[in-house]
Order: sequence, then structure tokens, then C-alpha cells
Amino acid sequence: MKSVYIHIPFCNDICTYCDFCKMYYNCDLANKYLISLNNEIASNYKGELIETLYIGGGTPSSLSIMQLKKLFTIINIFNLSQLKEFTFECNVDSLDYDKLKLLYDNGVNRLSVGIQTFNNDILKVLNRKHNIYDIYDIYNIARSIGFNNINLDLIYGIQDIEVLNDDLNNLIKLNPEHISCYSLCINPNTKMYIDNKKQINEDLDYKMYSIIKKRLKEYNHYEISNYCKKGYESKHNLVYWNNERYYGFGLSACGYINNYRYDNTKNMNEYNKGNYIKEKYIISNEENIKYEIMLNLRKKYGINKREFYDKHNINIINYNNISNLINENKLIENENNVYISERWKYKMNSILIKII
Amino acid sequence: MNINNIRNFSIIAHIDHGKSTLADRILEYAGNISERDKKDQILDSMDLERERGITIKLNAVQLKYNYNNEEYIFHLIDTPGHVDFSYEVSRSLAACEGAILVVDATQGIEAQTLANVRLALDNNLVIIPVINKIDLPNSDVNSVKRELIDTFGFNDEEILLVSAKTGQGIDKLLEEIIIKIPSPKITDDRLQALIFDSIYDSYKGIILLIRVVNGNIKIGDTIKMMANNSTYEVIELGVYTPISKSKDVLTSGEVGYLCAQIKKIDDIVVGDTITHNKLSAVEPLIGYKKMKPMVFCGLYPIDSKDFEDLREALEKLKLNDSALSYEPETSKALGFGFRCGFLGLLHMDIIEERIEREFNINLIATSPSVIYDVYLTDGSNINVENPTKLPDRQMISRIEEPYIYTNIFVPSDFIGSVMELCQNKRGNYISMDYIDDKRVNIHYEIPLSEIVYDFFDKLKSYTKGYASFDYDIIGYKANDLVKMDILINGESVDALSIIVHKDFAYKRGKIIVENLKEIIPRQLFEVPIQAVIGSKVLARADIKAMRKDVIAKCYGGDITRKRKLLEKQKEGKKRMKTVGSVEIPQEAFLSILSMDERK
Repeated sequence: MKSVYIHIPFCNDICTYCDFCKMYYNCDLANKYLISLNNEIASNYKGELIETLYIGGGTPSSLSIMQLKKLFTIINIFNLSQLKEFTFECNVDSLDYDKLKLLYDNGVNRLSVGIQTFNNDILKVLNRKHNIYDIYDIYNIARSIGFNNINLDLIYGIQDIEVLNDDLNNLIKLNPEHISCYSLCINPNTKMYIDNKKQINEDLDYKMYSIIKKRLKEYNHYEISNYCKKGYESKHNLVYWNNERYYGFGLSACGYINNYRYDNTKNMNEYNKGNYIKEKYIISNEENIKYEIMLNLRKKYGINKREFYDKHNINIINYNNISNLINENKLIENENNVYISERWKYKMNSILIKII
Repeated sequence: MNINNIRNFSIIAHIDHGKSTLADRILEYAGNISERDKKDQILDSMDLERERGITIKLNAVQLKYNYNNEEYIFHLIDTPGHVDFSYEVSRSLAACEGAILVVDATQGIEAQTLANVRLALDNNLVIIPVINKIDLPNSDVNSVKRELIDTFGFNDEEILLVSAKTGQGIDKLLEEIIIKIPSPKITDDRLQALIFDSIYDSYKGIILLIRVVNGNIKIGDTIKMMANNSTYEVIELGVYTPISKSKDVLTSGEVGYLCAQIKKIDDIVVGDTITHNKLSAVEPLIGYKKMKPMVFCGLYPIDSKDFEDLREALEKLKLNDSALSYEPETSKALGFGFRCGFLGLLHMDIIEERIEREFNINLIATSPSVIYDVYLTDGSNINVENPTKLPDRQMISRIEEPYIYTNIFVPSDFIGSVMELCQNKRGNYISMDYIDDKRVNIHYEIPLSEIVYDFFDKLKSYTKGYASFDYDIIGYKANDLVKMDILINGESVDALSIIVHKDFAYKRGKIIVENLKEIIPRQLFEVPIQAVIGSKVLARADIKAMRKDVIAKCYGGDITRKRKLLEKQKEGKKRMKTVGSVEIPQEAFLSILSMDERK
């Protein structure tokens, strides 16, 4: 156990595609929430050394300066002497110099900024309140304060190819350490879904994925949707993809501790009453292996054979269909790893369901 | 019991004309149980139902009615199931001497009214015409009366006016039942009882619903089924009042139930005659016309493990649906299943639905086919009910297909649309009868195979739901018919083959491949779909190779949810049939029914 995720469900504006647990920011509500969050952490955290900390949302940066300060005092419950990575999610319009400085001074060493696109028209469609100039301003301020590990989120599948190329030009110009690229997925309960917006067809989606991959060739495509400069992999996200354990605190947060995964409630009233966990899933050894394969294969180098054997006492090559899939060149085996071949990476579900 | 005081009758009506309400009202008026008793007994019966887990089906109710200081016994025999099923109506009618014909005062005669009257006349029943729903403000008693007089030749005076809802006219109806419907006639002293329905009960075995025509039947009697000579000892007899009431004996003219620990479904043929084992009747009763299945399709379990369950389901359904036929068949594409025969499309739909709902088996139904009469060049002739069994073209000299004669009742505004539809279905116009100045009965001769596809739905939409439709099979006619195969990834999928008219083949083929293209999900490779006759390709569509099948975002919060998504995707795959190496969803096999392109 070396990781903690904390969810801040508040946003100043709701994006039209977002299906995460979120609600409009309200000062009183947020104050009350922070008290509950404090209680949850105090009653469930067992004192482990924490190496990665991730504050996500919602929009954590929607909190006021006062609330952010409160949040940092809560975080001090954790044993952070070995803290290696502390990520804070933010969006452009809720940031300013003061907030960024506060984050920096409180140990945040990785910023994850949801910019999505540099195109003002598409930003409007997404209901993002910033524009291209704001992005550059905030980015430069962050750099000037000293942030040297910045992730920018890009969305694709909503703009046309020309705009995507513009977005990539801008991204490359900004030169962040890490880029997450997600294809737009129109989920139920989102404004886009309700407005009957249609997903782009998979041919175009794949084309965009290929363009991004090609344009970001200076970056390491270390996970399906994630690119980074050498040494800047997200340590926290790797905890998930390595199937390691982590705490999840806050409304709708999820965690994996001992032999179970859990989902917290999405109901603020329940949460404030102290009924944090909504559902627990006991993870059997067998189930754990399936999770591990599903998660590991997202990474460029997939499953580490020796680590897999040490953990489960099973040679991955002998597991289910793995050897067949290697013969079919869908999976690649090298000295240390088994991973999905480049050609099949974007169709990995069809491989996963043959294995797990 | 005095046989002269027994009256056996059914109620026949077009759907929604008020059959059930009228039956309820008769039960209330002729109920022989006091209000208090009724309550107690119904409660008892519910306990019984709960204990035994059975539902007592209200198929034949015995009622007592006092008229002129004499007690009469009524047996009201329900026409079970859907009124659209003329064969089901006919087997109930075989147990009766009379029928109450119900016509809705706001609707008038419909296609099924006509069909039911014909059946009742075939069974030599006395018909009491009743116009129901006369309390409704939009009722038009006079013109409905006119229709009844003009169409069936009833007299003005004999048509009863009733409101089953308010009870108006019910007393008069009960009186007419006594006066007009003859009592049962004894023609022999040996036992002859007609089985007109059966119910499966897990405790009692098969319960038979019978009409005793001649002789008596007692508990302890050894009885024989005349169709196959199987014998049983009678354990229980009784009548439904509507609560089941056991009796020691059922006498001539009575209608009731019989239990004899019958477990073997094969022994029971609805329509068969029961007699005594020792003093057997010489001849079975005429029963009723054995209905021949006219529409066939293959039913296959999606999960091949369900094959035996499917067999059992079909066995149980056949128990009170003698018109259903089935025999095992194998399809290269679908594995083991059954070729099933049905009386019509509705029958087919209902059986499929019951198997899926009541027996919980996921099915793939292949496209329905009629029986083709195929004359071969060597002078012989065969029946083909499965398109894949059609011999090579070189061996065929001609193919004949069954035709129907339609009764389509429709407001005259829709004549044009109905004719257009029938024309598109290869119909030949015959004639048109005016029922009154607003409604017509349109007669066409149409190949049955055209009705089998989407005729009902089309008729409904072409006429805004105003049309009612019924048909008779009138015989076979030769046509220029060919077998069209569907190739998926170069491999012929037997379950998708159909027989089509040559002139319509190109259009059908094009629609089918386009529909399949929409329904079959992208595979890992490009998949061509072709419609072919012999080696000639009529139409082709290609399903592009899959490009994306990935869960893009997988963070902490998402993980268990993503795992579930993947599991769901895996389950979805299981529900598809793999033909060659292409995964084909269930709906693909039904899509062939549609004559329209999917929107």
C-alpha cells in the first residue's frame, strides 16, 4: 500500500461529456465535505507510508484558497516522508497564480490540467470556460512557479482532423512532460448523450488515434491513452495498471485494500453521514489474476513474466489462451514481458475476453 | 343429472369485442354460489393453489341456472388462448352445441367474426348473435344489426342487445341459451369422451379437460385413449364452478376434468376420444379437424446445452397445442435444433415467445418457410419446408407454392393502400364486398409465403390499425421460384437461405445483405456478405474490419466498472453464433424477415 486517491466532486461548470461524480461548487457544501473527508481518512487510514498521492475530481482546483489550505492540513494525516509524486487535477479557468503557488508550496509536484482542446469553438461545445490564451497563460505561470511535471489532457473524436492537428501543434509547442489523450465517449447521463450527440465512427476514431501516436513520437506511448517524456510516467496511475493496492477517499472514490476493491457512495448525504463505502468486491486469487492481466496489458510492455510468476506462482505463458495469442502475433513475448502487439492495441478488448 | 337440462356453449368474438367481460357477467348471473360461499371457496382455492403451486385454468365452467322453476346446468367452455387462433376455437366448439357470437356495437363485424361463425357452422352449432357494448355513446346498433343480417342472414328479432359491462340484456341472453341451444344427444351407451384441452400439473400429472358425449365415467374406471390404446385408471373427476369441485362420476353431456396420473405427454392427443378399456366404443368421436401446420421454421437454442430443454419445452407446449409440430434437425450454422410447424405466423410468434419466457431458453428462429410442392424432372414430387432441402435446380421441373384467399376488413378510405400492399405481395385481386357504405371486405389471392414475412405489420401501418385480416388456404399454384443463399465471408449460412420469386430476388437480396451489414458487428477482419442464386451473385455488402475495441480510460475509480464491462462484452459474445469465424447475433436470423431496409 503506497498510494492514495482523493476525490473532490465540485466543479464551477459541468462539461457536456463528463460522467464522473461531480456537482456544482458551493462554498458551504465544500466546507462540510472537507469535514467528512477528514473523518473518512482519519477512521480508515492505517498509517502506511504513502508514495503517491492523487487529488482528482470533479475539479479540485474549484476549491477556494481557504478550502485548499484545509485540504492540505487533512493530507498531513498521511505519512508522507517518502512521498514521490503528488498530483493535483485542475482546469484552466479555476486556476490563478495564488492557487498555483499554494499548491506548489504544499508539495504538489505534478499538475494535471484538463485543457481538452485549443479550439475555442469546441471548448464551447464541451462547456469549458477557458480559451487558448488562458491555457498558455496558466501554463506559463505554472512553469514560472517551478512546476516541472505537467500533464495536459487532450480529447479527440470531437474535432475534425484539421483541428486535431492544430491541437497537437499547440501541445507539442507547450512541451509538457505528460499527455493523456482520450477519445470522446458519450456516456448516458451526460449532456451530450441527452442531446443525442453521436459518437464519431470507429474508422475516424482510429485514424485520429494513429495521427496522435505519430505526432507524439518524441513521447513514450506507455499506456493506451498516455504519453510521457522519459522518466515521467505517472507513478500513481502505474499503481492502478500494475494492479497494486491503493486507498480511495472521498465521494465516489474507489480503492483496493487487502483482498477487496470498494466503491464509495456517490450520495453526498450518505457520505456526510459516514456511510462511505457503497459496495465491496472480494477479489479472489483467480479474480485478482484477471484484473492483473486486464490492467497490465494496457501498458506498453504489458505483463512482466517474472513478477507475474512471483506473485501468482503461474507461468503467464501457460495461462488460458496466452500462448495461442502469441502464436497469432496478437501478443508479443520477449525475454521479460508479454504485451499486446501494436496492431492490436486499439482492439485489446477482443484479446482480453479471450484470456479472462 | 337430466341431460335435457344441460346446455354446452362457447363465446366467440373478434379480439376486444368483449368476450371475457360477457363470460364474467354470465358467471355472475348464473353463479350457483352465494356471495358468502363464493368468497370462502375462492379463498380455499387460492390456498390450494398456493400449496400446490398450480393455477387452475378457467377452461370449462359449470354453472347452475334456475329457469321456470327448473334447474339447468350450463357448461361455458372458454375458447382458450388467443381468439385469433381459429383452430383453438374450433376444438372448444367441438365440445359444444351452441355458440354466443359477440359483436362490438362500436366496431361491427371483423375478419375474425367471420372466421368464427364459419367454424361454428362447420360444427353444426346453434348461434346466438349478440351485439355487445350497447351502453357506449359511440355504439351504432342499427348498422351492426344490418351487417349481421346481411352477412350471416340472421333475423332482426333474434339478435340480442347486451351490455356486458352494465348487465343489460344478460337475463334475456340466459333465457335464449336455454330455449335455443339444444341439449346434448346420446347416440350410444358406451363411453365416448372428447379431450378438448389438457393442462400439465406437477402433482397430478396431465389434467384432461373432457366433454362426455356418451356413457358415464367414474373414479376407478380403467380408460383407454383411442388414438394409441394407452390405458389409465381414473383417479379424480370434477368440474370447475369455477372452483374445482371433485365428483365421483361425469355423465353424458357433462364437461369437466379428469386426472389419471398421466405423465407421458406423448399419450395424450388433444381431440382424442376416451373410452372404457373393457366395453370400448367402436369408433372414436369425430373430434375436430386435425390442423396441418402451414408455416415452418427452425428453432435453435443459442446455447447448445439447452437443446434437451428445448425439446422438453416443445413437448409441454404441444400438450395443449396439437397443431404444433416439431422434429429435430441440424443446421451447419446453428447446430442442433428443431424444425417446427405452425398454423400461421401469430402461432409461431407466440410459441417462440412462450419458449423464451416460460422456459427461459434463448432462441434463434430461422426465417419462416411454407411447404413447397416440388416436382422433379424424374416425375416424382416432394414437399420442401426447409429451403436448404430444395434439390438442385437442374433436378426441378416446377415448384408450386400455397396460396391464401384473404378477408381484409377495412374502412373504404384504405382500399387503395391495401391493394397496393397486396400487389407488392404478388397478390391477384379477386373481389371486394361492401359490408356497409363505409367498410369493405377485400379479397385477394396471395402466396402464403408473402404473408409469412411482414404482411401483418404492413397491413397495420398501411391502414392505421383499422384493418382486420383473416385467410383461408386455397391450394397450390406454380410459380417461378428459386432458392437464394446468403454467403457470409464466402460461406453459405444454411439458416439464412430462402425461397423467393425470381422477379423479386434481386430486391430481396439487396435488402437482406444491407440489413445484415447493419446487424452483424464488425469483426477482426473484413467480412463480405453476398446474396446468391446458384453461383450468381445478386447483391453484396462488406462489413469493414473492426478498428477500435478498447476501454480508453482506466483509472482508479473505473477499474471494477471496466472489469464488468469486459465481462458483459464476453457474455454478449456467448449470445452470438459463430459461423465460420464470423460472430452473428441472434437478430441477424430474424432480419431476413424484414422487407424494408433498416433506418
